[in-house]
Amino acid sequence: MSEVIAFLKPRAEVLARRSVIIADLADLLPPECLVHEARELVPFETDAFVAYRRLPLAVALPKTTAEVAAVLKYCHRYGIPVVPRGAGTSLCGGAIPQEDAVVIGLSRMTQILEIDTFNRTATVQAGVTNLSISDAVSPEGFFYAPDPSSQLACTIGGNIGMNSGGAHCLKYGVTTNNLLGVKLVLVDGTVIELGGKHLDAGGYDLLGLVCGSEGQLGIVTEATVRLIAKPEGARPVLFGFDTSEGAGACVADVIGSGIIPVAIEFMDKPAIEICEAFAKAGYPLDVEALLIVEVEGSEAEMDAMLALIVEIACRHGVKTVRECQSATEAALIWKGRKSAFGATGRIADYICMDGTVPLSQLPYVLKRTGEIVQGFGLRVANVFHAGDGNMHPLILFNANDPDEAARAEAAGNEILKLCVDAGGCLTGEHGVGIEKRDLMRHQYSKADLHQQMAVRAAFDAQWLMNPSKVFPLDGRPAMGTVSA
Amino acid sequence: MQTNFTEAQLADPHVAQSEKILRRCVHCGFCTATCPTYVTLGNELDSPRGRIYLIKDMLENDRPADREVVTHIDRCLSCLACTTTCPSGVDYMHLIDHARAHIENTYRRPLIDRLIRGVLVAVLPHPQRFRLALALARLARPLASVLGRVRALKPLAAMLELAPQSPLPAAPAGPVPVEQPVRGRVAILAGCAQPVLDPGINAATVRLLSRLGVEIVTPKGEGCCGALVHHMGREAAALDFARANVDAWTREIEAGGLDAILITASGCGTTIKDYGHMLRLDPAYAEKAARVSALAKDVTEFLALLDLPRLAPQNLTVAYHSACSMQHGQKITMQPKLLLKAAGFAVKDPAEGHLCCGSAGTYNILQPEISAQLKARKVKNIEATRADLIATGNIGCITQIATAAKMPILHTVELLDWAYGGPKPAKLAGLERA
Amino acid sequence: MSAISTDMTSITANPLDTGAMSAILVPICEEEAAGMIRAAAEAGRRLSISGGNTRSGFGNRVDADAVLRSAAMSGIVAYDPAEMVMTARAGTPVAEIEDILLENNQMLSFEPMDHRAVMGTEGEPTIGGVFATNASGPRRILAGAARDSLLGIRFINGEGEVIRAGGRVMKNVTGLDLVKLLAGSFGTLGFLTEVTFRVAPRPQTEQTLIVSGLEDDVGARAMALAMGLSVEVSGAAHLPESVRGRFLSGRLPDGAATVLRLEGLSASVPVRAEKLTAALHRFGPVSRVEAEASAHLWLQIRDVLPYADRSQKPLWRVSVSPGAGASLVAALRLEAGVDAFYDWQGGLVWMRMEADPEAALLRALIARFGGGHATLLRAGDTVRDQTPAFEPQPAPLAALSERVRQKLDPAGIFNPGKMGA
Repeated sequence: MSEVIAFLKPRAEVLARRSVIIADLADLLPPECLVHEARELVPFETDAFVAYRRLPLAVALPKTTAEVAAVLKYCHRYGIPVVPRGAGTSLCGGAIPQEDAVVIGLSRMTQILEIDTFNRTATVQAGVTNLSISDAVSPEGFFYAPDPSSQLACTIGGNIGMNSGGAHCLKYGVTTNNLLGVKLVLVDGTVIELGGKHLDAGGYDLLGLVCGSEGQLGIVTEATVRLIAKPEGARPVLFGFDTSEGAGACVADVIGSGIIPVAIEFMDKPAIEICEAFAKAGYPLDVEALLIVEVEGSEAEMDAMLALIVEIACRHGVKTVRECQSATEAALIWKGRKSAFGATGRIADYICMDGTVPLSQLPYVLKRTGEIVQGFGLRVANVFHAGDGNMHPLILFNANDPDEAARAEAAGNEILKLCVDAGGCLTGEHGVGIEKRDLMRHQYSKADLHQQMAVRAAFDAQWLMNPSKVFPLDGRPAMGTVSA
Repeated sequence: MQTNFTEAQLADPHVAQSEKILRRCVHCGFCTATCPTYVTLGNELDSPRGRIYLIKDMLENDRPADREVVTHIDRCLSCLACTTTCPSGVDYMHLIDHARAHIENTYRRPLIDRLIRGVLVAVLPHPQRFRLALALARLARPLASVLGRVRALKPLAAMLELAPQSPLPAAPAGPVPVEQPVRGRVAILAGCAQPVLDPGINAATVRLLSRLGVEIVTPKGEGCCGALVHHMGREAAALDFARANVDAWTREIEAGGLDAILITASGCGTTIKDYGHMLRLDPAYAEKAARVSALAKDVTEFLALLDLPRLAPQNLTVAYHSACSMQHGQKITMQPKLLLKAAGFAVKDPAEGHLCCGSAGTYNILQPEISAQLKARKVKNIEATRADLIATGNIGCITQIATAAKMPILHTVELLDWAYGGPKPAKLAGLERA
Repeated sequence: MSAISTDMTSITANPLDTGAMSAILVPICEEEAAGMIRAAAEAGRRLSISGGNTRSGFGNRVDADAVLRSAAMSGIVAYDPAEMVMTARAGTPVAEIEDILLENNQMLSFEPMDHRAVMGTEGEPTIGGVFATNASGPRRILAGAARDSLLGIRFINGEGEVIRAGGRVMKNVTGLDLVKLLAGSFGTLGFLTEVTFRVAPRPQTEQTLIVSGLEDDVGARAMALAMGLSVEVSGAAHLPESVRGRFLSGRLPDGAATVLRLEGLSASVPVRAEKLTAALHRFGPVSRVEAEASAHLWLQIRDVLPYADRSQKPLWRVSVSPGAGASLVAALRLEAGVDAFYDWQGGLVWMRMEADPEAALLRALIARFGGGHATLLRAGDTVRDQTPAFEPQPAPLAALSERVRQKLDPAGIFNPGKMGA
C-alpha cells in the first residue's frame, strides 16, 4: 500500500548510535529479553493494522517493572523514542514501531499477582491476557467484564492503553469503568502507583487519563481490575431482519424502552455469511441483518426481559427469532461474532473502522457507509456493537492491488468523517493510533488538540513515548520534523 | 496480508501454495494466545504469527535460511493449536512444512545438531534399530546427567532420559479369532516406534475389533508413516515412506478391499491423512495417495461408528489428554471422550487442554528445555483433575507424560478393550473398577 | 474584555479592575466566562470557582481575589430519552435535571450526593458541581461514579480558551480523556461550562434487605458475600448501632443494620431478594423494607444523614478497599474518639471525629491497611487551616499532578491551593 500517513522522521543521532544503544540495553536486560538481529526485528514491524510497517531499532521484552523502568530511564536519558507493545493486536497501528524506537513488549509479564474475592479485585501484570483474568477467577464465580473480540490474545496492558470495550460493555462499561489501579512507569523510569483497591482515587483522576492514552503517558506494568459476580445465566438470542434499517430501529427502541441487555450486536448479510462459515453457529442466512441480543440473570428475569424485547422486535418486522438451547450453542454464537474480523480474512483483506454514532443516527450512517464504499468500487461487511452505536464497517479489498488499497483507505476516512459529522467520534474502542491520527482535526478544534497535547507533555516533555501516534505531527509543541 | 512475490517465484508450486496461505493471514494475533511456545517464552518470534512473518520474509526474498530463522522455526512444536484458533483459516501446517524443507535445503546445521538428527532419522523409523538403541540407552542412562550439563549435548541427555527404565514389553502372542458376522475389513498401521515402546496398544485394538467382528490386516511393506523425517524438513525421505505405505495399502485395497486404514497413534494419523496433499505433485501417486488419505481414520473415529453398547458406570475417573495431532491435526475432539463415557468411565478435561505436552515427535529430544516446561505445566493441569488415570491417543504423549505424572497413562483403546471384555492393562494393576 | 451583559445576575462592573476582594462574577454564557477568565489571567487575579456554592467548603481554604460562579449558565441543552444522553449547562440545578429525568422514567445512575445538610450550606446544587466534585452515591458500587457517566464536557482553561473534550456517545477513545481528568478536579483545572452525561432507566422496583445486629467486621463479610452473588446488589451499607436510629426515623430493627439494596424488574427483584435472604440468614435476622421506604433510606445514606448535625465536628470521607474499612475504624477507635458508618460495601467510610481530626493518625492507618485516601469534608476554620483536606501524595505523583495542573492553568488562577497539600 502506498503510505498516506507519515511517521516522524527518525532521529539521526539515535540511528547513528544504534550499536552503542544495543550494547547498553544488553547490560540492562537478560539476553533472552533483547531482540536486535535484523531478521528477528521483522516480525515486530507491525501489529494487526498491517498496512503500515516500520522496523524498530530494538525490542526489549522485560520480565519485571524494574527492567521496564531501567530501559525507559536509559531511553529518556539518551532521547530514544519508545513504543510500548502488548500482544500486538491493535487495529489502528498503536504498536507499530519506528526506525529509531525501542519497542518495550510486555509479553513476558504474565503473572496473575493476586485474586481478592472479598474486595472483588484481581491484580495482574500487564502482559496477562484479557481472557485469562476471567479464566482465573471463574472458579470463584467472577469474571472481568470488558471483552474485546481479541480477548483471547490481547493483554490487559494493551486494553488499558486503548481503553478497550467489547460486546458486553453495554451493561458493564469499558476498561476505564473497570480499572481500579495501575503501576505506571513514567518516561524517566520513575514508578508511580495510581489508585488501588479502593473505588475512587484521591487527587486528580490520572488513572482515567492514563486509560486510553495509547502508550503516550508511560508504561503500565501492573493493573488492579474490578471483578463482577457471574450472572446466574445468560442467553443470547438471534433476531433476523429483512432490512438493516429495521434492525437499527429495533435497537434504538429496545434501549429507549429502558431495557439494557448485556449486549446487542449487529451483523449485516456479508458479515453473517463470513461468520457462519467459520463458526457454524446457526446464524440465519436468509436475512439481511442480524441482531444478537444477550440477556442475563435468573430464568425468570431472562424470560421477562426477552418477552419485552421480542415484542419490540415484532413491531419492527423481525423475520426470525432463535433462542439458543445450550451453553455450547451460546458459545458458538459468540465465537462467530468475536472471530468476525479474522474470519473476514478468508475472503479478502480488510480494514476495520471503529466510529461511534448516536443511536438515532445508526440507520442513516449504515446506509451512507454502504454508499461511500460502493462509490469507491469496494465491498463492505458490517459487524458491530449496536447497543452503544459503535460501528465496525469492514472494508474489503485486495492488499496486493495498490490502487484498491488506496481506495479502501480513502473510503475509511470518509466513513469516519461521516461518524463525526453525525454527532459521534472517530473511534469507540480501537484507539487513534497511526490510522486515525490525521483525522483528529476533524473531530477537535486546534485549541482542543493543543490542550490534550499540553497535558501529554506534562508526562513526556520530549515526546519520546509512542510519538508518531494519536496527535497530528504538525502543530505539536517542540517536535521533530515529518518524513516525506 | 499483503505479499511480495514475483511471477517467477510463484511458478514454484510450493511457493505458490505458501503465498496463498500467507494471503489469508490478517495478522490478528489470536494464534499467539494458544501457542505453547509463545505462552512459555513470551516472544513474538516464538509465536505462529512471528514464524509466519519470518517465513514470509525468507521466502519473499529468496533467502537461504539463517541461524535466527532456524532457531525460531525449530522451536515450533507443529502442534497446530494455532490452526484450531485461527479464524482466517491459515493453513499453518503446510506453510511450516515448506519452511522446514527450505531450511533443510538451504541451511547447514552445526555438527552436533546434524549428528543428533542423523541418529534420530537412522534409528527411530526402524523398529529393529530402535529396539536395539533403547536397550543400549538403558545402559547409558547414568550418563544423562553428565551430558545434560553441556548445552549442545542436552538432546542426548533428553534421549536417554526418555528411554524406558524397565525392559521393553514383549509383543503379545498370536492372532485373535474374528467374531462372526464380519462387519468390515480394515488395515492397521503397525508403524515404527509404537510397537517397540508399547506393543500392547495395537494388540488391544486387534482384540477389541476382532470381538466386534472387524477383520484386521497388516499389509506387507508398510512402515513408518514418515512424520518423523517430515517434521525435520526431509521431504524426499518423507515422501519415500509415504509412497511405500501407499503402495502397501493400495495392494490391499485392490486385493481384498479396505473399509478403513486405522491408526492408533494420532501423530501418524495426521501425516497419513495428509498423504494426498504431500504427493499431489507426483502424477504416479497423487490419486492413490488421496484414496489412502480418505480411508485413514483414527481408531476412535472408527470405533465411534460401531455403536458400542453403553456400560454401567464404574468408579474410575479418567483425565483425557487430547494429543495435539488428535485435536488440532485431525480435529477429533469428541469421539474418544464419548467412547470412554459410554464404556463407564468418568471423564475429565484438564485445564489448558489445548496446550501441547511437549512431546511433539522428536521435539522432546531436540528442544529439551521448552519441552520440559510444557511437560511440567501439562502434568500439573492433569493432576489437578484428581483423576485415577490418564487416557490419550498418541504414543508420544504417553512416553512424555509417563515420565512425570503420578497416575498411569494409557491409550484410549486399551481402556476400551478392557471395558468391553479384554484383559486388564498391566499398568492398572493397583486400580479397581466398581 | 468580558462581554457586557444586561442580565442582573451578571456582575458587569468588573471587580478585577478595581482589585476588590471577594467580588462575585456570574457570567451568563460561556463566551462571557471566557472573557472574565482571560482578564483574570492577564491581571494575575485568582478565582474561587463554584456552581451553586453548596460544596464550597470542600477542600483547603482558597485565598482568591474573586468568585467565579457558573450558576447563571443554566439550562438543559439537549436530552433525547431514547439515547439516554443529556447535555446541560454547568449551572443547571440538579433538581431541575432530576425532575425532567423522572418525567421520562430515567435517573442519574450514580446518585449524586447532596452536600447541603452535612456541610451546612444553602443554595442549589448544580450539575457542574456534581461532576467537578465527582459526587457519587451508594449505587457507585454497581453503576460507577459520576465520572463514569460523564461523556463530554466544555470547559474554559486558565488561559481563557474554550476546550471541548469527549462527546455524546458512550464509547469514545478519541484522544486523551480530559473528561476524566476534569471530573473531580474541584475547579482547579478548568471552569466547566457544559456537561454531557449518560442517564439510566429507573428500575421498576426496589427493596432493601436488612441484616441486624452485626459487628462492623461481620457486616463487612456479609456485604462481601452479597456482592459476590449474582443478585446485582446496587447498594451495600453498614450502619452501626450508634447511627442506626437516625435512619427512617428509627424504624430500622434494633442493633446495627447491614443494608443491601436490590433494584430492577418487578419480575426479578423478589426472586433475587429470596436468593440473597437465604444466603444472609446465617449472619443474623433478615428483614426488609420495600419501595418507598427503601428509596428514602438510601437517600439518607447518600446524604450522610447521621452527621448532618449542624456541628463543625471534623467529618472525614475515607475511601479504602471494602475489606479494610472496619479494621481501620477499629484501629482508630483505640486512639481517638470517632463515630463512623460505611457505604460502598465498607469501602467508603464516613467518620465524625469527636474533637481533633487526627489527620496524621488516620492517614497512617489508611496506609497500613492497604492504601486509600481521606478527605476532610468539614471542620472548623482553625482545623481546616492546619489540616490538608486532601490526602498528601507521594512526591513523584504530587509533582506529576502539579505539572498537569500547570498545563491547564499556567497562571494558577483557579481555586489556588484547594487540592494542594
